[in-house]
Amino acid sequence: MAIINQATKELQVKIVYYGPAMGGKTTNLVQVHDHVQTAQGNKGKLVSLATSSDRTLFFDFLPIEAMSIKGFKTKFQLYTVPGQVIYNTTRQLVLRGVDGIVFVADSQYEKMPENVESFVNLEENLKTLKLNLADIPYVVQYNKRDLPNVAPVEYLEFLLNNRDVQVPSFTATAHKCEGVFETLNMITRMLLNKFISQGTPQYA
Amino acid sequence: MASLPQLIEEDVVRLEGELRELVEKSDATTALIIDKAGFLIASQGERRQFDLTTIAALASGAYMANQTIAGLVQEPNFNSIYHQGEKFSLLVMCVDDNCLLTVIFKAQVGVGAVKYFAGPIVKRIALQLQIAHERSPGVSLDLSALNLADPSEVFKRKA
Repeated sequence: MAIINQATKELQVKIVYYGPAMGGKTTNLVQVHDHVQTAQGNKGKLVSLATSSDRTLFFDFLPIEAMSIKGFKTKFQLYTVPGQVIYNTTRQLVLRGVDGIVFVADSQYEKMPENVESFVNLEENLKTLKLNLADIPYVVQYNKRDLPNVAPVEYLEFLLNNRDVQVPSFTATAHKCEGVFETLNMITRMLLNKFISQGTPQYA
Repeated sequence: MASLPQLIEEDVVRLEGELRELVEKSDATTALIIDKAGFLIASQGERRQFDLTTIAALASGAYMANQTIAGLVQEPNFNSIYHQGEKFSLLVMCVDDNCLLTVIFKAQVGVGAVKYFAGPIVKRIALQLQIAHERSPGVSLDLSALNLADPSEVFKRKA
């Protein structure tokens, strides 16, 4: 979980973008990197460990410092996981120490099985780390809403956001930066609220 | 997953002191303590020419991938990784269940020397983290000053 350094009043938080292959996880980070408004030096480089065809091989990584959190140097580390099924071990590695999750679903009808499979895979991988999705703040993003063959949001909600507690969800067209910041800001608020309500955040 | 408590100033001062000693004795360039989730905890030595935040994320990923390979070949003792370069070399050593020591040193510096000096320092770092772990859990950072009622967004998009 998040690192708290009392000596420097610094909070470090890890957010992982999870979801099926080609769903737009990396695009979310690229858009955040390209469009976020930060003080000079508060945005790190976007690092992508990708294949020659631009598919994420290990992870993408974007360190970024939040603005407007008074008195606290709050550093967010945004990661993506590789979506392809064969990279499951890699996804488990990236999930270690996760504080919050953005599940990026592909809204196209034909991608529904992959969305569901990826969501189930997320829960399974968290279990291997002795974590429970119900205990971790997460949001769902329904991406690619600009495509013609997208499923209705209600259907996506039924498939992916139908647990005991419904989490915030957002429609997005990540390559146009629509819905990207709304998603990121929501998971950020949920994380900070969790830390405040817990009182004694720890790190692992 | 085991967790560690928050670090207070005393912890950070001691951890940085250990890293400083390692840099001085081994002639290393930079030494970092990172956690296995990829966070940078402390650093000493040359810090301007390297992006330490990203190095921490990548070094922990590389180490954890190495650990997974160890598990696949049923090897319990892959406790470090070493990369020899032409200008700089890199050594990542396990400190405890949660933390790693990462040392960047010039290629002409022998890895043997770095390992020799790092050995006892790894133990002292682990001890300090253990002390932090056993400290009163009541010590915490007061996050109530965070004003989440503020309607402004944490991350803003450029106009």
